[in-house]
Amino acid sequence: MNTALLKKTLRLLAEMAVIGALFLLGGKLAAWLGWPIPGGVMGLALLLLLFACGVLKPAMLQLGAGWLMAEMLLFFIPALMSLLDYGALVRDEGWRILLVIALSTLVVMVVTALTVEWVCRWSLHREP
Amino acid sequence: MPLFWLLLTLLAYLGSRWLYRRSGRYLLSPLILVPVLLLAVAIPLHTAYAEYARNTHWLMGVLGPVTVAFAVPIWQQRALLARHWPALLTGMVVGSSASIASSWGLAHLLALDTATSLSLVPRSITTPFAMPLAQDLGGVPELTAVFVMFTGVLGALFGGVLLRWLPLRTPLARGALFGVGAHGAGVSRAQEVGSEEGSVAGLVMVLTGLLNLCAAPLLALLL
Repeated sequence: MNTALLKKTLRLLAEMAVIGALFLLGGKLAAWLGWPIPGGVMGLALLLLLFACGVLKPAMLQLGAGWLMAEMLLFFIPALMSLLDYGALVRDEGWRILLVIALSTLVVMVVTALTVEWVCRWSLHREP
Repeated sequence: MPLFWLLLTLLAYLGSRWLYRRSGRYLLSPLILVPVLLLAVAIPLHTAYAEYARNTHWLMGVLGPVTVAFAVPIWQQRALLARHWPALLTGMVVGSSASIASSWGLAHLLALDTATSLSLVPRSITTPFAMPLAQDLGGVPELTAVFVMFTGVLGALFGGVLLRWLPLRTPLARGALFGVGAHGAGVSRAQEVGSEEGSVAGLVMVLTGLLNLCAAPLLALLL
């Protein structure tokens, strides 16, 4: 077996284990504090804290975090299959739902881009 | 065969990812091809969602650790955030408000039922944040994931056209358009436009998700 590949795989698994542990710890912490925050968000905050204290460096988790984010689609495919139970909804409201999504997406994109552009130009204007 | 759906899901995902990387055709991207393939097998077999989910639902559990992993891009882009936070924060707040108001308003205008309308509200943020937000608001998280997917597919298409029409001079505005409007699918498109646009889109996507989730108690009161 290729040792470089083996090393990379072990490293990927170790990094994902650290991220997974932070997720579980985040969930426990949120439950203990009684805060209505998902474990993932609490874990994200913990990880940012660890970066800020210098306990961990982003490079140490780059491989695992990169893999999780790159393959994210795989993890929500099962949710998409809920469509199997919504045949009636798709038939009765499908086109209206698509229309809402399409129009709203256009609105969001135009409004966001123009807002950011205006704030940028305005601040450039102020500081010569 | 108990693991049939899990194996089919993994195979469809790996196959589609390989095809998309080789061909670069948007219609072959896993975001579109995998659900289409799986539905094409499941619908003729009259498979219920519960049956499909029995051995595959644990995949959704990995979305929690994905949320934790988002800390890495936030930390790496903190200089960008420190320099441009007024523009980015304003864009995220205004964009998210526009998303929530237009989804909710249009859903009412077109007389969609309440559960569907509530599930539409988080549709422009990334799935790991959108599903818990839908839960908080009283929507259906799985339906929200479907709406998020359609938002990504449509947003990635619209974004390219809008870039030609809108007078945007800054990479910040071009990146924010994709990050707030079309989450993950938008970030991939933004990376094709430019590396700065890609970084902005990735950062804004994560922060918009966080912002929306933090606003959940307020939204629950309003809607």
